[in-house]
Amino acid sequence: MATTTATITLASTDLISDSLSLSSTTTLYDAGTTTGLTQYDSGRVKIPGDNNIYILLDSTAAAVNKGNRVYVANKNTEDAHYVDILIDEAVLGRLYAGDWMFIPWSQADAAANLEVRAPNEVNTVEYAIFHEGRTFTGA
Amino acid sequence: MAKTTAQITLASPDIADNTISISNVAYLTKAGSAVGLDQTSGLRRRTFTSTSTVKLIDLDHYQDQTLTANKAAKVYIKNTGTSTAEHVKVGIQNAAGALEEIGWLYGGDWMFFPYSAAYTSAAHANNQDIDVTPSSTDSVTLEYIVFYE
Repeated sequence: MATTTATITLASTDLISDSLSLSSTTTLYDAGTTTGLTQYDSGRVKIPGDNNIYILLDSTAAAVNKGNRVYVANKNTEDAHYVDILIDEAVLGRLYAGDWMFIPWSQADAAANLEVRAPNEVNTVEYAIFHEGRTFTGA
Repeated sequence: MAKTTAQITLASPDIADNTISISNVAYLTKAGSAVGLDQTSGLRRRTFTSTSTVKLIDLDHYQDQTLTANKAAKVYIKNTGTSTAEHVKVGIQNAAGALEEIGWLYGGDWMFFPYSAAYTSAAHANNQDIDVTPSSTDSVTLEYIVFYE
């Protein structure tokens, strides 16, 4: 069993009248258990800036309703550059240059792909998915 | 100008032959600029005791104002529980007015994601509300924050 942790720290000294400082750590387990996730995939890709929706991570039958967690970061540096993040063509939001996100991804059905769309510029995206397994495609 | 940072560290000494360590800091800025996001819901906390689907972020009643859609809003949600067997399903209303499931937050899990917050009507017909559905009637508490402009 592997031990993988994800820690977030949100901090600001001037967003509100008092300092904001929040930190949380979670251990990434298989769904409904205390067994650590043992598989991951990661990569770095360039998303074409043509406003088309592309599948970044394909939903897979073996991962439906499992303990999948996804990290995505937009590595561009121009403030105006962004990629839309979508699940099954439903937009979550815009991941601007320098932004990152981390979500559980239940892959509820075969269409629940994690998708990206860059409206204007090529955006370089890094990603990692920690998971319990995937369905392999035969050669 | 407010400066808010969100830092993530993903670490594993043993999921692979070599240690994994991913760290990243994002400055939460307004869309397309270097100016910091300057509005927030503050840290909120809600407890649920049924398996009904509930609007956690209701765009039609969001602090008596409308979040500016299609900007750089961010959402943080944490399941403060300790159960690794029970979860809270988190979803977002899509453009067709149906709930699109994002993922399941077990006890101790958190998520942080960009949020387009598209608002269309008071009838919630196609609003991008964030809905949550506990898997159990056992009490579960979520903490959440929205950063927006």
